[in-house]
Amino acid sequence: MSREWIQKSLLICIVMTITILSGVQFYRHRHFQLPIVAGPGVTKVTMLSDYCQSLKGTPADTRVFFMEGAEEGGKTLIIANTHSNEPAAILAALIFIENAMVDRGSLIVIPQFNNSGSRNTKPGDGYVLFFDIPTEWGSKRFRMGNRNAAPLDQWPDPDVYVHYPDKKLFSFLDARNTNRTWPGRENGLLMEKVTFAAMELMRTEGVDVAIDIHGAETMFPVTNCIVAPKKAMRIATITSMIVNAREGFENHVEPSPKSFRGLSHREIGDFSETMPFLLEAPLPFLDQPTGPKTEALLLDGKDPFLLSLSKQKKLFVPYDSTGWSMEKRVGQHCSVILELMNQFSRRNRERSIIVSQVPKYAEIIERGVGFYYKDPDKADRERIYYN
Amino acid sequence: MKKFSSLFLTIIIFGLIVSLASAQTEPPKMQLPVLTTSAGQSADINTLNVVLEQAGVMYDYCDVPTVDMVKAGVGLGGQESGSGFHVEILTELDKYPKGTAFKSIILAIGASLKGMGASGLTIEDELKRVSSLIKYCTENKILIIAVHAGGESKRGADGSNNERMIDAVAPYADYIIAVKDSNKDGRFSKIAEEKKIPYSEATYALDIVTLIEQIYN
Repeated sequence: MSREWIQKSLLICIVMTITILSGVQFYRHRHFQLPIVAGPGVTKVTMLSDYCQSLKGTPADTRVFFMEGAEEGGKTLIIANTHSNEPAAILAALIFIENAMVDRGSLIVIPQFNNSGSRNTKPGDGYVLFFDIPTEWGSKRFRMGNRNAAPLDQWPDPDVYVHYPDKKLFSFLDARNTNRTWPGRENGLLMEKVTFAAMELMRTEGVDVAIDIHGAETMFPVTNCIVAPKKAMRIATITSMIVNAREGFENHVEPSPKSFRGLSHREIGDFSETMPFLLEAPLPFLDQPTGPKTEALLLDGKDPFLLSLSKQKKLFVPYDSTGWSMEKRVGQHCSVILELMNQFSRRNRERSIIVSQVPKYAEIIERGVGFYYKDPDKADRERIYYN
Repeated sequence: MKKFSSLFLTIIIFGLIVSLASAQTEPPKMQLPVLTTSAGQSADINTLNVVLEQAGVMYDYCDVPTVDMVKAGVGLGGQESGSGFHVEILTELDKYPKGTAFKSIILAIGASLKGMGASGLTIEDELKRVSSLIKYCTENKILIIAVHAGGESKRGADGSNNERMIDAVAPYADYIIAVKDSNKDGRFSKIAEEKKIPYSEATYALDIVTLIEQIYN
């Protein structure tokens, strides 16, 4: 056996070991099922493909939770994990699904909007594959996904993504970004089918308010804010003023730009009667100049490099050694959603939506996010849905 | 030493209370009809309009009114919204019919390059427009209220767009309102003191609602 042959065999073995070890991890991540316990307010659970047949049976199909009140009223749609690497969204959505009681109108929640993205990762950035939220009964494990859908599910990527219907040109990556493919089309790319199905849901169900939950870098100007088009601007503005004065956190308002197409806050408003809002909470994990992308950074948002940049006034949000915790982000989202519904209801009495049992900012910071999740081991099997 | 420190602290706290009390004055009384507009085209005009709505004060709004539109009074001479130009006529027309002269104007101060760009304006155009508006209002006894609700994000270094906009409006106002975060360096209270302009400071933008209710009864 020559020396060269031994070297080549050894190299092949090393490569195969690394490939198998990482492949097993990626496989487990992609096939991990998140148990969601339908709370007492959930009246039915359907699939998004019920609104777009061409989505049925694809890896992009996802669950839709309905909470219908005894009294007729307006309807709110909450969309979470449009970008699955912004997980405060799904954590807030699950608080609503597992706790909310709807007295009037309806609440519809899609907790994992880009289902394919939630089974994707960003190895180049060293993303963690999972994160755990401590609860009173142990910890609840979540998949940490990526911004875009997995190329395994939507292949091949185009050279350039041509937005439908405006023909604006985007990066090829945005073909897999469900916040660039609105309003979508029935027979387009898989992600266009996802957004088309959501548009159909809003049009057929008569949704009044749509809230798309996100997270953004502290170094990005459109962070810690509510983005709204002109028709939703007044409600966004009064909501921002009220949470600032009564709940003590800042959440300014950004206008939705008319010429930037494909975004939920733009296209939902332009292609339906629904009033859209997009919520951004600061997410230090997404900033580029940080230390390793660890689970701790994701959960507490503490980073020495961002702290240094904050002292140089390079960030768009106040930032100190306490970081920007998951509790703060989820708390902001819950409070802003509740206030948006409240303000919509005050202006549209006949379409009002009354929701209770959802904690606000201060309560979530005090008790932690996990306090509001039910133990799947103790829940009725028929009330558990895997996503 | 301890006694000296606590005495020193008491003097400082007392001094702060006195200076705060002297900076803030009783809000003046204003009359309707009122026009709201922006000085700098920031989104703070939305905050101002929502504040008026919450206070139950109906208004006419235009993002870039000219002197001729103000001269035309309520209804702004029949102007309608178009590209980069927004008008809302919400004044109670049974009380103040179209053409009734405005008695007051509220300017939301805050410079936004994006906002000015959308209206096809440069900072120089906007300063010129705002100055001509203020000149007309002063000459015609239309009382001017300057509102700064944007906090620190709508402040800047000396000579920045935000500071130039403050200089163009605040010293000529008949009443200044600023949120606490906007006046951390005492910019507005100093202008008010020097120019003898009534001044109110609101902890949050939502608190401006009460001030507007007070001045318009």
